[in-house]
Amino acid sequence: MRLWAALALCAALAGCANGHVALLNDEGGGVGALVVIDPATGAERGQLTQANTRTALRGGQVHARPLKRNFDALLAVMPPPPKVFTLYFIEGTTQITADSAATLEDLRRAIGPTSDVQITGHTDTTGDAAINDKLSLDRATQVRATLVADGLPVADARVTGRGERELRVQTGPGVSEAANRRVEVTVR
Amino acid sequence: MRGTIAAGLLIAACLSTASAASVAQIGRIKSVTGSAAVIRGKTAIPAVAGQLLQAHDVIKTGAGGLIGITFIDNSRFAVGPNSSVALSEFEFDDTTHVGRSLTTINRGTLAVVSGQIAHENKDAMRVRTPTALLAARGTRFVVEVRP
Repeated sequence: MRLWAALALCAALAGCANGHVALLNDEGGGVGALVVIDPATGAERGQLTQANTRTALRGGQVHARPLKRNFDALLAVMPPPPKVFTLYFIEGTTQITADSAATLEDLRRAIGPTSDVQITGHTDTTGDAAINDKLSLDRATQVRATLVADGLPVADARVTGRGERELRVQTGPGVSEAANRRVEVTVR
Repeated sequence: MRGTIAAGLLIAACLSTASAASVAQIGRIKSVTGSAAVIRGKTAIPAVAGQLLQAHDVIKTGAGGLIGITFIDNSRFAVGPNSSVALSEFEFDDTTHVGRSLTTINRGTLAVVSGQIAHENKDAMRVRTPTALLAARGTRFVVEVRP
């Protein structure tokens, strides 16, 4: 009876939940940081800043300890990083360059039935910004139409035109630059 | 009267179509092992690879259940067995990259690789456990909550 009362009290306070957090290295090998905050007050309880350290989340200050286990089974189901394919365009058109045909073929092969696809168009700095917004969107839309025509399941893929906002090669205004006339396709 | 009801149903059908179309997709299930479900409102949908996810969906796994998820900001989750993970908030503008997210784990295990929300908005990717709030600063981590 006393045990049940204790358990009920625990549940009510949620203070007995046995929570931990472990910081791992980034997949690139670097390491970020994780800030632990008191949810009631917003006060910081401390941070994990070193890879392969862990801390309990019971309510006190962060106390970083070495991580003595791995999460291999869990991390095996972590989806791989997204892949980005870049297609280049003939100036002022929505037609890809001959050199981009091979990339388009790689892209077709990378898209599977569960792929999440995002298509973002860009232009160089020739022409005015409003026209470039439209041209970049038209390029992205054209790429999606091409993939849909090939029978790939991307009819619901998000399409964005960023105009000349995100230059791959920095140039002044009014500069024709082949590297900036592009569509980037992210396949997740 | 019958005409009024029919018109009401028609309006309701139109509204639900409109709201379904305007709900933002925030991610997609990439893999499912064992028993797993997506709770959307009051409906439990068996989780399948390829399924689109929305803000407020809750991911639940049974014993042996595992799910891999990708989000539109390029962040990724691996959800372990016996878990309950709610996608409580998720906003991301893929033109400006402004956004924020809050994920709530009530039990189980969650591995996180952060994405553009964390990289471009300070402390905007957050994970809540029953006893703490975590803010990710460009990183990979694992949260575990055991009753």
